[in-house]
Amino acid sequence: MSKTILETQHITKSFFGVKVLDDISFSLASGEVHALIGENGAGKSTLVKIIMGIYQRDEGRIFLDSEEVFFQAPRDALQHGISIIQQELAPIMDIDVAEYLYVGRELHKLELGPLSVVDQRRQRAEAKALFEGLDIDINPRSLMRDLSVAQMQLVEITKAISLSSKIIIMDEPTSAITYKEVETLFEQIRKLKKRGVGVIYISHKMEEIFTIADRITVLRDGKHIGTDLAENFTVDKAIKMMVGREIKEVYPKQKVAIGEPVLEVQHLSSKHQFHDINFCLRKGEILGIAGLVGAGRSELVECIFGITKADEGRVLVHGQAVQINHPKTAIRQRVALITEDRGHTGLNLKTSVEHNISLAHLERLARFGVIDRRTEAKAADSHINQLKIKALSRKSLVRSLSGGNQQKVVLAKWLLTEPDIIILDEPTRGIDVGSKRDIYLLMGELAKAGKAILMISSEIPELMGLSDRIIVLAAGRLTGELPQEKFTQEEIMTYASKFEVLHDEK
Amino acid sequence: MNTKKLLSLTIVSLMLIALLASCGGSSANKPYAFFISHQTNAFTNELTTAITTKAAELGVEVTVYDAEKDPAKQVSQIETAVNQGIAGIVIEPVSVDGVVPALEAAKAAGIPVVVVNQRISKAEAADCFVGVENVDGGKLEMLTAAEDIGGSGNVAFLLGPLGSDAQIGRTDGYYEVLKDYPDISVAFEQTANWVTEEALALVENWLQTGTDLKAIVANNDGMALGALKAVEDAKLLDQIKIYGLDATPDALAAVADGRLTATISQNTTVQGTTAMDTVVKLAKGEKVDPEILVDFVLITKDNVNDFLQ
Amino acid sequence: MTKNNASKQARLNSFRELGIVAAFFLILAVLVILSPNSFARPTNLINILKQASINGILATGMMFVIISGGIDLSVGSTVALAGVIAATYAHPGEYPLVVPIALSMLVGLAAGIANGLIVAFGNIPPFIVSLGSMTIIRGLALIASNGQPVFNVTKAFENIAGGFVLQYIPHLVIFFLSVTAISAFVLTRTVFGRRVYAVGGNEATAKVSGINVNMIKIGVYSISGFLAGLAGLLLASRIVSGNPTAGQSYELDAIAAAVIGGVSMTGGAGKWYGTVIGALIIAVIGNGLDILNVSSHFQLIIKGTIIIVAVLLDVKGKGNQ
Repeated sequence: MSKTILETQHITKSFFGVKVLDDISFSLASGEVHALIGENGAGKSTLVKIIMGIYQRDEGRIFLDSEEVFFQAPRDALQHGISIIQQELAPIMDIDVAEYLYVGRELHKLELGPLSVVDQRRQRAEAKALFEGLDIDINPRSLMRDLSVAQMQLVEITKAISLSSKIIIMDEPTSAITYKEVETLFEQIRKLKKRGVGVIYISHKMEEIFTIADRITVLRDGKHIGTDLAENFTVDKAIKMMVGREIKEVYPKQKVAIGEPVLEVQHLSSKHQFHDINFCLRKGEILGIAGLVGAGRSELVECIFGITKADEGRVLVHGQAVQINHPKTAIRQRVALITEDRGHTGLNLKTSVEHNISLAHLERLARFGVIDRRTEAKAADSHINQLKIKALSRKSLVRSLSGGNQQKVVLAKWLLTEPDIIILDEPTRGIDVGSKRDIYLLMGELAKAGKAILMISSEIPELMGLSDRIIVLAAGRLTGELPQEKFTQEEIMTYASKFEVLHDEK
Repeated sequence: MNTKKLLSLTIVSLMLIALLASCGGSSANKPYAFFISHQTNAFTNELTTAITTKAAELGVEVTVYDAEKDPAKQVSQIETAVNQGIAGIVIEPVSVDGVVPALEAAKAAGIPVVVVNQRISKAEAADCFVGVENVDGGKLEMLTAAEDIGGSGNVAFLLGPLGSDAQIGRTDGYYEVLKDYPDISVAFEQTANWVTEEALALVENWLQTGTDLKAIVANNDGMALGALKAVEDAKLLDQIKIYGLDATPDALAAVADGRLTATISQNTTVQGTTAMDTVVKLAKGEKVDPEILVDFVLITKDNVNDFLQ
Repeated sequence: MTKNNASKQARLNSFRELGIVAAFFLILAVLVILSPNSFARPTNLINILKQASINGILATGMMFVIISGGIDLSVGSTVALAGVIAATYAHPGEYPLVVPIALSMLVGLAAGIANGLIVAFGNIPPFIVSLGSMTIIRGLALIASNGQPVFNVTKAFENIAGGFVLQYIPHLVIFFLSVTAISAFVLTRTVFGRRVYAVGGNEATAKVSGINVNMIKIGVYSISGFLAGLAGLLLASRIVSGNPTAGQSYELDAIAAAVIGGVSMTGGAGKWYGTVIGALIIAVIGNGLDILNVSSHFQLIIKGTIIIVAVLLDVKGKGNQ
């Protein structure tokens, strides 16, 4: 192994008397991808924030190239060649890519202190050269707003390289990008390795970690559980170390008898989003929907749920054609939709767990418009218990919960409406392994209880592990349907990429 | 696109017609213009009525322009009217400085200008000022109150917006009179911004202090009526006398009922008729005094019937 | 970690809520010390309640709108229009008392429904909609009254706001308490109230959860308009005339009361009792400073300072979440 460029020794950090990091020692070699894994709240983000100087450590030492460093703020870290690419990118949207790359260190053609004139042309030329050197296809003149999330990440990586960073920290870089874009990202990471850059890689996605990481460090509850070469790990071993208990298999799939059709979608079309979609969902079945981001999967289920209107086609629930123009009609038809973005369309972050859980069911918890608060409290408490939601009480603000528990609150809200048809759009995105497993188990139980489940996921192993059947969308068209025995990652990806063929035909 | 074209064409032709029409009239028949600061209270309405009635009586035409309390609007109204050609200007200004250049321009164009009620900062910009001295109104009001309460005791003043001409003049009048009444002391003095409900709450609060007030003297009738309500609610009307200024219809009614002790008329109708009369004289080339002052009139229960319509 | 955050959050929240109550009592205490003989008298305390009533009623309506994520700048003008209409139909010997009462509230309700419809279906920011309707309604009030105060109303009309229950409690206070009680019930106990919070907290989530967001918006503006109509009736009765220029900047006092009471300008959060305390604080300061004969110009500075401090508390509270 090449030389160690970063080392932390015995790092300890407490917030309000609670130890969130306890004696963490960690090292990174040049040209190495070192994955940092653990459940939410394990301390991964806190550790990298201490390395970046965003938080100050209580105890311990940090060495950069064998020299002890004390960073007071992120700019100190940046000056020492450490960059971070955050989980939630927050770029400045209304400037072009070249300007963004040089924000705060603009190239000047005239030095006049604060009145210096920015040399736009040179910035663009330099940006173009940078992108070419990295083999990234982005126009320096594009507005940041017009880039995809993956492209923004590539811009961030380019920025980190242009700052001649020796160490790049990536916190959940793939949480918002597609399978294909992940490949592009990994290509860049491999190039970074060749340049001797060390990468600290934080992710929940095991497949990715085993693809890209050289070494893995597992944290749990702020403690260092173990560090080893990636080849000495297995998925099961890693998960066991992360959650601290035995997990028999990653995807617990129960055998359920599949019954009559409950949801039939016929020739459903919506301009520019999806076209002529036909499928049928049966009682007790888990039907997976695969496809790349932008394939029209979310748009399809939002249309079925009445958030948007279809231009053509119809939807049958229990064999009856129904006109669903608004989510309230969908709820009346006993359909539930757990949307993709819980912060944006799943939760009211300004209120309590209880009021979130009861939100879609208020009418039936009320008499003459007055809420029966005792029944509401009982319903909330029973769902908090049933779904193992970790909250101090039903009155806790939902924003104080971890991602996994917030997702469970969304699920609780919809289970309270007693749905027959449950649509889940990326139900495990950005949540920890323990909560993921709880949700998988719950889905199994719901199917067993006779519910019909429609699930969208960008994690193909998850889709294969849980579904009875998978349909694949590409560019708004249904390109394939696979029974369980035919599930392979390659097959699904082939169908998911079929839009290119369709485009070529045109 | 077509509709847009059609629309603009229509507008342009309408403007042309209007222009032609305004040019077509012979200069002898040019209308007079009356510019008023706003039309949201009894005073301004009475002034407008006086002017339009007098104009009809004199057989001339007058156009009323309402500036809605906006100085810039009044200036552009003057400019527009002057451009269209008018026989004379009567103006009740929004701003004492703001209208000066526009009036100077009008005067330079040979249009006679009469300022009514509120003086402008540069008297030469107008041919004549018709109005009252606010300080005289204040004096008459305070003198009446001082005599009524026998020359001693506590009084309270309700003031208009601090810094306004009428507030300053009327309040100065109060204090001038008080020089002769050393036994009268001012217990409270606060602005209620001409507003009835502000005066009501203010006097309610004053009365809570238990101060032995003999009279409440208000810069205008609106505030006096607010004070009246507070005093009546506290059942102190037999102890506290209330005085207003402006002689608005509701104040006159209250005087007639014996609830409001007195109000002062600034002879709004006389101001208006005099102003209209003067501008017509000026247009005919007659000479007039540069300042015509109208007297205030005290209105009590004894003479209120002369003023009720 | 999660549990700890939650309990810290709960403590912070209750501190903030207690904070405004504590501030209220602090202000009271200071005024009692400065003016023991006048301010602290029972009749003055009732007087304060009376003076808080009209703003309190407007603030209650405003609270519904702000919690739903909107704003209603038109209430001050609606007060004037409703007052003018009420006084117009309250001349002696013309119409029974029920006519001015019903008409003023109907006028307010109509203004509110119009605001709500435009906000909900026009997809125009509420600030702009109500800024426009504020001007329009003021114009209507001036037209309806010919630009002059409408006076000469019946004794019974004057008695609507001016009368007393049990000799000492002004009708105004009874109206304020009733409006508060009903609003508190609607806001905290009913499906509608819960949905108002949901729409203000996250409109997209509310829609996905089956809530007819447009109906909720129309509902809150209707409430605000209706209460502005009631406030207009009460003000006209209180000053025994309908004044077309009355109620200027009342909307700002109503917003101030809600904000001082902790209602979040971004919507989704706020408590009814906060709004009551906010209205009381404004009235107490005005009353206390009048009694101390402090110039109303200084009063403006003190009122503004309190608004900013209250919002500062609000922002700090959120920053700690």
